[in-house]
Amino acid sequence: MDAPSDRDLILNARHGDTAAFGELVTRHQVGVFNVCYRILHEHGEAEDMAQESFIRAHARLESFDIERPFGPWIRRVAANVCLNHLETQKSTAELDDEKDAGESTSPEKQVEVKERSEQIRSALASLPANYRAVVELRHYQEMSYDEIASELNIPLSDVKSNLFRARKLLAEKLK
Amino acid sequence: MKHLSEEQLNEYLDHESRERDQIELHLSTCDKCTTRLAALQTLFTELDSLPELILVHDLAAPVMRRVSGYSVLPKWLTLTMALQAALAVITSLIAAPFMIEFTTERMPVFQMSSFTETLFQLQTQWEAWQEAISTFQIPSLPEIPTLQIPTLVILFTLAGASMLWLVGNGLLLRNQIK
Repeated sequence: MDAPSDRDLILNARHGDTAAFGELVTRHQVGVFNVCYRILHEHGEAEDMAQESFIRAHARLESFDIERPFGPWIRRVAANVCLNHLETQKSTAELDDEKDAGESTSPEKQVEVKERSEQIRSALASLPANYRAVVELRHYQEMSYDEIASELNIPLSDVKSNLFRARKLLAEKLK
Repeated sequence: MKHLSEEQLNEYLDHESRERDQIELHLSTCDKCTTRLAALQTLFTELDSLPELILVHDLAAPVMRRVSGYSVLPKWLTLTMALQAALAVITSLIAAPFMIEFTTERMPVFQMSSFTETLFQLQTQWEAWQEAISTFQIPSLPEIPTLQIPTLVILFTLAGASMLWLVGNGLLLRNQIK
């Protein structure tokens, strides 16, 4: 028997089936967590915000268009939750020990990839919050300039200047 | 030769440029801009291919616990709650005239007395209590009036209240136990 689709799970969850929503969480929690971690760069906080994202998504499930894919939508909800959280916190996040997939006994190539990944995450974490936001929405949520401007409620010119400046800073740090 | 700006290169790689043809024409003849574009492309590739971190804790269980606490009620249960409210209002409306009649007949009309009168009343009351205590006589209690409410109304009110309790609490508790 095939596993139920996200669409079926959403329909069941709308009728009060908590287990169906739990299955949705299980399927998308890694992606959502990574969105939160890229923005917040703190493991515990990212887990908390990931939970909050799913809670908020559950509250909005009735209004979600089931013809749209659930994954991109929940990741955008997560990005919103984290960006709002960042606004209230306005603090510099500290980096945690990071665990990439396949970390424990890595061959040489995986070690090299892990080190480079840590450099990239460190560089992202060093960006100001507003730069981090545009980088997340452009590179990881694949939003257009106009969508980013609408999402963050900033002018298009600010989106471009923040994004281009962020990339310049990242390029300097990753030389 | 005027080279491409950072903005032009970024917009080109983001597929947001309105001058792609001109940019590509320039790139075909300018090694410096081609090198700059390649460096920017490398950065894009590194950012886009950043591997995902593994999630140490399963989020499904805590999310489900919190979601269960205020799960969306099915529509039929919401309708039952509306019926409950309507029945409660109807029962109150039926009982209200009898309650009003009872209270207006039984409740004394209070009149505010002056300070001197209040003191005199207190003194009189104190003397009465002293006399009562000295003769070991407990003051007689006022007679409890009997209620003249039709039996049918009492039964209906009790039935309605019981139904409200059973339907409302029973169903809501059952939904939480699920």
